[in-house]
Amino acid sequence: MASRKEGTGSTATSSSSTAGAAGKGKGKGGSGDSAVKQVQIDGLVVLKIIKHYQEEGQGTEVVQGVLLGLVVEDRLEITNCFPFPQHTEDDADFDEVQYQMEMMRSLRHVNIDHLHVGWYQSTYYGSFVTRALLDSQFSYQHAIEESVVLIYDPIKTAQGSLSLKAYRLTPKLMEVCKEKDFSPEALKKANITFEYMFEEVPIVIKNSHLINVLMWELEKKSAVADKHELLSLASSNHLGKNLQLLMDRVDEMSQDIVKYNTYMRNTSKQQQQKHQQRRQQENMQRQSRGEPPLPEEDLSKLFKPPQPPARMDSLLIAGQINTYCQNIKEFTAQNLGKLFMAQALQEYNN
Amino acid sequence: MSRFFTTGSDSESESSLSGEELVTKPVGGNYGKQPLLLSEDEEDTKRVVRSAKDKRFEELTNLIRTIRNAMKIRDVTKCLEEFELLGKAYGKAKSIVDKEGVPRFYIRILADLEDYLNELWEDKEGKKKMNKNNAKALSTLRQKIRKYNRDFESHITSYKQNPEQSADEDAEKNEEDSEGSSDEDEDEDGVSAATFLKKKSEAPSGESRKFLKKMDDEDEDSEDSEDDEDWDTGSTSSDSDSEEEEGKQTALASRFLKKAPTTDEDKKAAEKKREDKAKKKHDRKSKRLDEEEEDNEGGEWERVRGGVPLVKEKPKMFAKGTEITHAVVIKKLNEILQARGKKGTDRAAQIELLQLLVQIAAENNLGEGVIVKIKFNIIASLYDYNPNLATYMKPEMWGKCLDCINELMDILFANPNIFVGENILEESENLHNADQPLRVRGCILTLVERMDEEFTKIMQNTDPHSQEYVEHLKDEAQVCAIIERVQRYLEEKGTTEEVCRIYLLRILHTYYKFDYKAHQRQLTPPEGSSKSEQDQAENEGEDSAVLMERLCKYIYAKDRTDRIRTCAILCHIYHHALHSRWYQARDLMLMSHLQDNIQHADPPVQILYNRTMVQLGICAFRQGLTKDAHNALLDIQSSGRAKELLGQGLLLRSLQERNQEQEKVERRRQVPFHLHINLELLECVYLVSAMLLEIPYMAAHESDARRRMISKQFHHQLRVGERQPLLGPPESMREHVVAASKAMKMGDWKTCHSFIINEKMNGKVWDLFPEADKVRTMLVRKIQEESLRTYLFTYSSVYDSISMETLSDMFELDLPTVHSIISKMIINEELMASLDQPTQTVVMHRTEPTAQQNLALQLAEKLGSLVENNERVFDHKQGTYGGYFRDQKDGYRKNEGYMRRGGYRQQQFQTAY
Repeated sequence: MASRKEGTGSTATSSSSTAGAAGKGKGKGGSGDSAVKQVQIDGLVVLKIIKHYQEEGQGTEVVQGVLLGLVVEDRLEITNCFPFPQHTEDDADFDEVQYQMEMMRSLRHVNIDHLHVGWYQSTYYGSFVTRALLDSQFSYQHAIEESVVLIYDPIKTAQGSLSLKAYRLTPKLMEVCKEKDFSPEALKKANITFEYMFEEVPIVIKNSHLINVLMWELEKKSAVADKHELLSLASSNHLGKNLQLLMDRVDEMSQDIVKYNTYMRNTSKQQQQKHQQRRQQENMQRQSRGEPPLPEEDLSKLFKPPQPPARMDSLLIAGQINTYCQNIKEFTAQNLGKLFMAQALQEYNN
Repeated sequence: MSRFFTTGSDSESESSLSGEELVTKPVGGNYGKQPLLLSEDEEDTKRVVRSAKDKRFEELTNLIRTIRNAMKIRDVTKCLEEFELLGKAYGKAKSIVDKEGVPRFYIRILADLEDYLNELWEDKEGKKKMNKNNAKALSTLRQKIRKYNRDFESHITSYKQNPEQSADEDAEKNEEDSEGSSDEDEDEDGVSAATFLKKKSEAPSGESRKFLKKMDDEDEDSEDSEDDEDWDTGSTSSDSDSEEEEGKQTALASRFLKKAPTTDEDKKAAEKKREDKAKKKHDRKSKRLDEEEEDNEGGEWERVRGGVPLVKEKPKMFAKGTEITHAVVIKKLNEILQARGKKGTDRAAQIELLQLLVQIAAENNLGEGVIVKIKFNIIASLYDYNPNLATYMKPEMWGKCLDCINELMDILFANPNIFVGENILEESENLHNADQPLRVRGCILTLVERMDEEFTKIMQNTDPHSQEYVEHLKDEAQVCAIIERVQRYLEEKGTTEEVCRIYLLRILHTYYKFDYKAHQRQLTPPEGSSKSEQDQAENEGEDSAVLMERLCKYIYAKDRTDRIRTCAILCHIYHHALHSRWYQARDLMLMSHLQDNIQHADPPVQILYNRTMVQLGICAFRQGLTKDAHNALLDIQSSGRAKELLGQGLLLRSLQERNQEQEKVERRRQVPFHLHINLELLECVYLVSAMLLEIPYMAAHESDARRRMISKQFHHQLRVGERQPLLGPPESMREHVVAASKAMKMGDWKTCHSFIINEKMNGKVWDLFPEADKVRTMLVRKIQEESLRTYLFTYSSVYDSISMETLSDMFELDLPTVHSIISKMIINEELMASLDQPTQTVVMHRTEPTAQQNLALQLAEKLGSLVENNERVFDHKQGTYGGYFRDQKDGYRKNEGYMRRGGYRQQQFQTAY
């Protein structure tokens, strides 16, 4: 099962949106019946998210916040956002919903868009495909159909290219999540694989014309040297981290498969036992000639089939592995380019 | 004679008998029937003629006095007993009382006693403090006296109304009494005690009379009237005589003691109508009393008895005038021996009897044969003295036993014509025919082996930290001397098998002792001076190494039972190891192939094996062979049950897992304390050698995912150390090692050194070695070397090249050593570097895979296993088993192999680059 997944792992969505005035995402877009085809983000929102992480997030800790905006036709416009306060153990009784409502009410008073259209979250080396994200995105999408989750990767951004992606759950996954049945059979029936769990929605970052003008002005003034992060050749650390994380997920995957394997073995063993019992009964019947056969149903009821392991986790892991692979591929491709460039430069200099 | 002893145990009939006597016989009556009682009291009582009233009343007053005494010391149990006696005595005096009226003093004691008891009863605190027996007695007595006093109610009330008068009267009475007593004797107390005791001891005296009568019978059997002359002549044997006498007193005392609880018990039984149960209890009680009395050896009881008629008689072996011949003595001996092992035989008495017999035999010059035979039996009965296998001999018995064996050996050495052997039948014994060699049945070897066992038992049961233990340990020399003597004897006369056994015994007493003399000799080089040579010659015989060699070789060659040889080999190895002869020890261990089949041996041998392995490991450590040390100690240490495996104590943890029986067995297996191997030393040696191995290894394989652990125990300690929230300066030995390991990890040998070797560790561990300084220098050197290795492993990636001189300065090692260590590392491909000779530097090659490459390799491996697991799921789905499955599996293996090769190729590529 899993191998099949891996075999087709290469056809993943890849659309990186670079910082720029209006870099139109070319990604494949959502499936037909999706409510949102495009996400348009205000520059303010991007800056606010970046600032939030810069101030509060560090290391593996993630920051989260609420996106506000409205839907125009098939385009989701995100015009503002506000952060969630960082969770601490002390204030366990902190009421998030209350906080959100208050926040939105306050924003409304100052005439800012107050419609809840999703949430954002920072990520650590792209490790965001988790159960928590799935659950909360599901609840968002369940309540507000057009909700998206914005994933902001601060590390990639620090390397010179803004990494911001919008994701939605596919309708198929929504169905499955609604059913809350993650047994192998159900997933098979839903025909869902890890590629079709999340759909990426293309992102457009939109600024007002005034800001655009300002940008142009600033760009002229700034020296090229300021953008040297882009040319950094030091890649080993990033790659190493990615590999490490990938390896961890692969381990998890292995364990998951082993679990599944035991389950399979147990079920097959039990079936065999049933067969044996049946056969025994048949034999008895033949031996004692004429006696009515014993009812065999109660026996099969006695042994409950083993609990099938939930497959959602493995799906998520597969999805996560996929993300890591994408990351690494992307990263190495860029780096190779840089290396070749550096080589060429060196040759030229010599 | 034996009949007398058997009556001792039959306490039930005896007690009832004594009870009767108590009731029916008035005090001091029927003296004529006791011709053997030589007590002065007897005469006293004879002299005084009193009226029946006086006699009865005296009896009563005596009892009352005892009760008052008991009341004073709050001994309620005693009160109860006496009260019962009082009741009886009063019953006897009934006729007189009828005539005279109830005596005042009687009423008084009743009233007082009741008051006293009520007072006690109210005193809750005091009652709590009271022991169980007393508390029980208190309630019983209270009930009884209440019932009893109902009959005397009018008297008591009148007494209470007018206590003065009655008191006066009583005093008067007392005076009268004391006057009367002073007539009899000067000391009033003594007499009253005597009279009282006399009454009590009536039963015993009756008893003694009885048994003496029996003795009479028996003596009549031996066709003569008894006479003291026989004993008077035996002035040389006065020592044993007194012992004998003491024994007699003891026996008497036992009866005397038994008396009190017996009546008490009988009463109870009558009361509760549960006779059989009481009987059982009573039996037990009397037995216990017997034992107690044995402990006390009677001496203590003598004083109490005071004027009680003492039985000065000794049992007579032979009637006077009997011609003591071999036949008679042997007959007697057999007679005594027949009682052996029977229930109720007084073992102490038996031993004494046998000793007497020896004396008689010696006096009558019956020849050594008889004496030897009797001696054998004495020793055997000494061993038999304790019926329980777990209990150990008492010191006196043990001393006696040693003496006896020594004497026996003296005789055997003095008379080479005596043949001793197990195989000699009773019939073919020749005990007196001087013309032929004397033949005696008995096995000196077994006796000595048993003695050794007893010695071990004594040591096991003594607190190892007491002076007592030291005292006992002093006997070890004696034991060794005896073994040596027996060895000499058997070397002349014994069979090879016996010689093997005695040799093993000798070995077992030699192997664990460090031969300081030989060690000293080794240290001082043999210089030409004649004096030292002389010393050497003097000491040569004592060199335990030579001795061990000789004994063990003999056993290797001659022994046919596997066990003795195994033990001998193990002891030999242990001895080698103890004296730092590592290579001999190791070779012997390897040659013997003991490691392969030791698990089939019995537990004591396995314990010996474990001890040997541990000693071997410690020896290897002393030699600086850390790896060997680690390997030898690994098995013992990794289980965490070193204490148990070495037989040095039981683990508390497994206490609930075994039942009492098993525990007893295990307890018996324990090694005596003086043979113990210091467990802390053992653990320290293990941990330090693990540290010396593990730290460089860890440094070398830092990034290797499949790194295995050399020592789990060590890692465990490291983890424990890491878990500590607050890291103070190390206290325990383990903490020291952990701290040292941490320092070593950084290549900081000086800190490491200061943690391993300092005051604390010296005191705890290193000073325990015989050559502590040598070990310490070795250790420092090892720490330097391993730190250097660790340093190179850890920091080689930082260096392009490093001068060997710098390294030599850093680790305070001389240049050739550094050179050799680095060369070794290069040869073993542990360090990718080359030596640049002219500049004396190490040039790093930097071929180690980078972090990413390592990660990639690991990832590849993990993916391999993932794929394999995944394929298995597939197989399940398809439901294919058997051949197809196996083919598939091979397929994955190939696949895996391919991937591995890929990994290697990558590495090769890297190295080429």
